[in-house]
Amino acid sequence: MPQPISVADLPGLNCGVCGLRTCADMVDRLASQPGYLERCIHLSNHRIGAAGSHSDRPAAPKQAAATAPQVACTASVPCATRSAPATAVPFRDSLDREFDFYLEHFPEDPGPREILIPHNPMLTRELAIQRGDILLGRPLGMSCGCPITHCGVAMEVDLRTGVIVWCVTGPLQTRERGFKDLGYYIAEGYEGLITKSRVEPKIGMRYFFQPRMCMLQWRHSGLVNYLNRTAAGWQVRLEGLWIG
Amino acid sequence: MPRLYFDQAATTPLDPRVAAAIRTAAQEFVGNPSSLHTDGRAARSAVEHARAQVAALINAAPEEIVFTASGTEADNFALFGAVAELAPSGVRLVTSAIEHPAVHETCRHLGRQGATVDSLPVDSEGVVQPEFLADALATPAQLVSAMEANNIVGAIEPIQELSTIARERSALFHTDAVQAAGHIPIDVRTTPIDLLSLSAHKLNGPKGIGALYVRSGVAMHPVVHGGGQERGLRSATENVAGIVGFGMAAEIAKAEMAHDAARLVTLRDHLIDGVLARIPGAYLLGPRYRRLPGHVCLAFAGHEGEAIKLLLALDEAGVAVSTGSACSASHRSQPSHVLRAMGFDPFRARGALRATLGRFNTAAEVDQFLQLLPPLVSSLGSITTLRTSPSNER
Repeated sequence: MPQPISVADLPGLNCGVCGLRTCADMVDRLASQPGYLERCIHLSNHRIGAAGSHSDRPAAPKQAAATAPQVACTASVPCATRSAPATAVPFRDSLDREFDFYLEHFPEDPGPREILIPHNPMLTRELAIQRGDILLGRPLGMSCGCPITHCGVAMEVDLRTGVIVWCVTGPLQTRERGFKDLGYYIAEGYEGLITKSRVEPKIGMRYFFQPRMCMLQWRHSGLVNYLNRTAAGWQVRLEGLWIG
Repeated sequence: MPRLYFDQAATTPLDPRVAAAIRTAAQEFVGNPSSLHTDGRAARSAVEHARAQVAALINAAPEEIVFTASGTEADNFALFGAVAELAPSGVRLVTSAIEHPAVHETCRHLGRQGATVDSLPVDSEGVVQPEFLADALATPAQLVSAMEANNIVGAIEPIQELSTIARERSALFHTDAVQAAGHIPIDVRTTPIDLLSLSAHKLNGPKGIGALYVRSGVAMHPVVHGGGQERGLRSATENVAGIVGFGMAAEIAKAEMAHDAARLVTLRDHLIDGVLARIPGAYLLGPRYRRLPGHVCLAFAGHEGEAIKLLLALDEAGVAVSTGSACSASHRSQPSHVLRAMGFDPFRARGALRATLGRFNTAAEVDQFLQLLPPLVSSLGSITTLRTSPSNER
């Protein structure tokens, strides 16, 4: 028969962090609710475990999260990328899939440039979208199926076709200036710069690439239908987009 | 309808008693605390009184408190200051994967300067288990930095155990207690912490003032050079009004901690239980109980990609919360490194809703939130029409 827990077994801090004002209140509560002991933040798992039968949820040894990193971050491998070994091969996405190049946004643009069409193209006219408007929407569908709602600023608007060119900028402007909600849209193309590539891109070829600002860091694929070599890198347009 | 401010982990509103103390100090203490005349001595006296108030919050001696301009500066000072004394290029530093950028980025910088920086994993609740540190310290290290409580998921870390392990292996132990101080008890006399960072605005004090606890005997190299204030460790004329406000905030937090904590835990649990009961697919991130008293971090299965819409809808409805942000050109919009370290995939690691309660939130506000949230979540376009069970959300 286990000994009942007394105030002396508790930290005696009367800190309230368990939800009760005092440790004496905790002792009273334990009589009817032994599992309440795990609410004491000052007792280690070991000590709660020692209470054993007092707890209705015994402590179990903890495992590191499945993807938790165990690799050192060093000067050459920053902590943010520590899941990759110091000798990590670049051109791999967050799912460890290879890709051919990074797609950067043009330095003069506020973010990655995307050509899109709302699933209802009439929205472009109905919402009176014009250059500079802040827009919100998710790229639903076969192109390109990203699960993330995007925010951006309209750069070019074609009222006849409904096609919009925007730069994805993130939520800050949306909060500050209000927005127009596209709902779902189709991502038709990307334009940007290739500055890091393991292949020499060719027009007409389909490539795996990593949009630098993709927050999921998933590789995409697309067909190069415009290519222009400049001092800053390859200017490129990609259409026929897919994720993966 | 008055707005609901549920973003207390970002910053807390100024306590009116603190505001009054700051106003008085700003008007009364015209002198420079370093001046020898009467006005200077009055300001010095106010600074030292506040130093004792801040020290008492963590059971330190007043001379162990060094005022800084922020918690971030305190973290920078702790790491740069300690490493510079230890040996700039030969130091091994162990930190955790869930640290605030103030620690994380400072460690990266030290790494670029030649220090070896190792990052500890966390478990699926965001907790650095003591055995993770024990394993890491099988190889000698000179400095360990692990936060007292996590700002994203609210997990309270086992600092007693971690600091004890560090002490046994002769490593200095720093903890970023910015989220924890004033909300849970901290005692540097019974816990072998060598360096501890504090910030006033997380405990209903003013913004722009922080402090670093430096255990007596720990050698530190200053990072701000100049007139030699703060025992030569942090030069700059003291922010007298801010320091007075910090002192008052610390004194109130210490005196009212038990009352505030018990009340906030009740509100927190009511909020968690209410959301989980009302919204199918809602799931809690971080530990169920070993979390900061007012801290709630939730996600909604199938809606993780719509976090920005939820934030905007809540904001429009008059509620301030914190959440992941939409796909962005901004570095800050990358998936949470904390949730990534906890094992969430990049998609789910950006869909969390953080609602954090504080001293002035009420049960009526929580009830109001519980009325507002479910219809807003159900109005979001889910990525799936399937009913997803929270149990397979990792």
